[in-house]
Amino acid sequence: MLFSDAEVSMFLEELDEKIQVINENLLSLERKGDHTTAIQEIFRAAHTIKGSSAVMGYDKMTKLTHELENLFDRIRSGSLEISTQLVDTLFEALDTLKELQGEITGEGLTADISAVTAKLTGFLAGDALFTGPPQGSQSANSAVSVQRIQTDEITEDIIREAELRGFNAASIRVQLAPDCQMKEIRAYLVFETLQQAGEIIKSVPTAEEIQEGRFEREFSLIFLTRDDLDQVENLVLSIAEISSVEVSPLHIQDTVAPNAPAANQANSETVSAPVNGSVNNEGLEKQSIKTVRVDVQKLDILMNLVGELVIDRTRLDRFAEIYEDRHGSGDLADSIMDISSHLSQVSRDLQVEIMKARMLPVANVFNRLPRLVRDVAQKLNKEINFVVEGKETELDRNVIEVIGDPLIHLIRNAVDHGIETPEERAAAGKPRIGTIHLKASYVESQIMITITDDGQGIDKEHVRHLLVDRGLCNHEQAARLSEREIMEYIFAPGFSTAGSVSDISGRGVGMDIVRTQIEQINGSVELKTTPGQGTTFSIKLPLTLAIIKALMVELCDRVIAFPLIYVVETIIIRPVEIKHVRHCAVVVVRGKVLQLLRLREIFNDLPAGDEEKLSVVVLGSGDRRIGIIVDKLIGEQEIVIKSLGVYLGQVPGLSGATILGDGRVGLIVDARHLIKETGIEEVAYAAAY
Amino acid sequence: MGTITTKTGEEQVVVFQLSGQTYGIEIGAVVEIIRMETVTALPGTPDFVEGIINLRGRVIPVMDLRARFGLMISYHTVDSRIIIVETGTTTVGLIVDSVAEVLRFATADVMPPPAMLDGTDSDYLRGIILNGERMVILLDYTGILRAAEIEDLRLVHSQAAEVS
Repeated sequence: MLFSDAEVSMFLEELDEKIQVINENLLSLERKGDHTTAIQEIFRAAHTIKGSSAVMGYDKMTKLTHELENLFDRIRSGSLEISTQLVDTLFEALDTLKELQGEITGEGLTADISAVTAKLTGFLAGDALFTGPPQGSQSANSAVSVQRIQTDEITEDIIREAELRGFNAASIRVQLAPDCQMKEIRAYLVFETLQQAGEIIKSVPTAEEIQEGRFEREFSLIFLTRDDLDQVENLVLSIAEISSVEVSPLHIQDTVAPNAPAANQANSETVSAPVNGSVNNEGLEKQSIKTVRVDVQKLDILMNLVGELVIDRTRLDRFAEIYEDRHGSGDLADSIMDISSHLSQVSRDLQVEIMKARMLPVANVFNRLPRLVRDVAQKLNKEINFVVEGKETELDRNVIEVIGDPLIHLIRNAVDHGIETPEERAAAGKPRIGTIHLKASYVESQIMITITDDGQGIDKEHVRHLLVDRGLCNHEQAARLSEREIMEYIFAPGFSTAGSVSDISGRGVGMDIVRTQIEQINGSVELKTTPGQGTTFSIKLPLTLAIIKALMVELCDRVIAFPLIYVVETIIIRPVEIKHVRHCAVVVVRGKVLQLLRLREIFNDLPAGDEEKLSVVVLGSGDRRIGIIVDKLIGEQEIVIKSLGVYLGQVPGLSGATILGDGRVGLIVDARHLIKETGIEEVAYAAAY
Repeated sequence: MGTITTKTGEEQVVVFQLSGQTYGIEIGAVVEIIRMETVTALPGTPDFVEGIINLRGRVIPVMDLRARFGLMISYHTVDSRIIIVETGTTTVGLIVDSVAEVLRFATADVMPPPAMLDGTDSDYLRGIILNGERMVILLDYTGILRAAEIEDLRLVHSQAAEVS
């Protein structure tokens, strides 16, 4: 292999990004029809992929994106109209592009591009018939033909920027001699000569078409130069077999400028991530690149180093204390304290900034969904308006990786089971077009993602029947279930409300997996439904997996951390309050029975002596509760989670470790596991009593 | 990999003491050697796993080589050291009685390990180096760091717990 793994993975990452850009903009094209920004974005993305795939030697991808680029060049020059048929073909091309991507990653089989390129060129050919003539036939009237070169938004931006930097923009029309034998070679020479004097930012026809000889005897260019325009004219005329050259200065009215950025902002649907390395071959755009890619591992290392700083600060503090003890307080001791507190401020800020650098906008996942909704809805003949809000909400990269699948599942379900067919909707007096609303927002220090549909909702009586049918519970049990309990069953393994097993969803697996996946990253999922009006799923997620809030406790001389999201409360009990039911220690708290465990037993330590009071940490998840007796409560703290490493693997009872402010290692209790294994449902326990 | 060859056929080892015997570990695998520090014990791990330490922000498991080799356990002294060893993705600290020196020897001087060697499992030995009067037991660190092994031991551990 010619390229290193790192290079290939960088290419793949860029490819991923560009495919996403094309996808998004295609969707917006389909919705809004002619849309300059979207067309421009797709053109640029296709162009970038073409360039980098050519470098990497992925010929099929180069060929496909070349066709795409050509097509979009026509679209943006206004000579090809956007039709449903065209959009469908473009989506097909996008899928083929993804297949090619799979081919590279080894996830997919060999992809065939011939069918889709044929379709694409079909559009090009059909189009050529009706736009072909003007370029040649109008050669008599030179003024008109110079104007044929249209300056779009991007070109205008470049020109404006170039003018600021002392370049002159010119429109150049070159006509080759009628008896010119190898027009593409002549054209090539013109390009080469001009490139030495400045920069060609646009050509009509495109540079590719000219290179392949697909042009009449003339072509127009937009050229940026610092040289005198007469000189440029002479330069071009010096090339053999050029019959005429017209160079006219080009000025852009500034009135467009203030509007353009505003329009971009308002249109949040189509604006993609801030110039994520979309290096255009126009060198003039370079200064707008403001992002770099950083390996997450590097950020982790930085994070560790910040931790080191914090430890040193603590040591400095202690040193200051010792110094003060020995030599009494004075200027020196004071300044040490000053340095220490400044150091702590800086290291804390540093930590926060590095954490932020790990964050990605949730758009990374959300952007995949509109296409999904479109495809599924089309398949089921449903009409759906998919509204996305809060794309810019940022989440830790790891969290983003995990929530993709659950979200896809929930959205599919909403389209498949939630939204009714247009006919059903009309009959129920609802608008024919259903709405699915996907929204991300910050709620306290968590992120909340809601998926709301205005569909048929979930009928709880229907669920009751299904529960009996599927043998999940008997008639009496089903009848006694509360509304909340019924909704809980939707997340039970082997449950699906779909009347029939469809291609899209309803295989009876899913909701339980959705819940498991979300819970694995310390999140939670709930659902609310109103029959006839719709269903809302609310997913709560932590902002990051690397830092959690924890309740710190002491055990012997060790510090143990309980993830705060599992801590319900802390209580103090007296040993006499502990009762024994069978072999379990329990205590009655506010009329409810709570099972107790001693942390010392879990950690194989010696039992503590007789204390008058015991501190109990009550852990809970869902309806399950368990009380853990600890030596001493320390307090709440934000901790950085560290894995125990490959060598130790999974250590029972622990989910990781953390480094404390004083450099000691604290252990993090696997609270979720503990609750699941030993926790007992309050209700059940109360009933047994 | 992991072996620093100075001249052709020459290797270097970090020489350390363990229960009165001299051992050597290839220098290429050794990241650093630190003084004994507070080790946080872990529940539910084999006895020889002393716990975890904080090595400049990294959490690293530490094992007591005496316990690992079934030698007599003793208290750690001021001479005790933790040798940080790294192979691929695994980093582990090994507690030894003391670290003496770095020794050069010819690869050809390594003799195959004898079948029985004072309780030390011969799976973790590469051989014996005779250096003048001294005899250095050359460890095969990859055997010690094999992660799968800890799983086996955990199984034995839990089975033993069930029986008792």
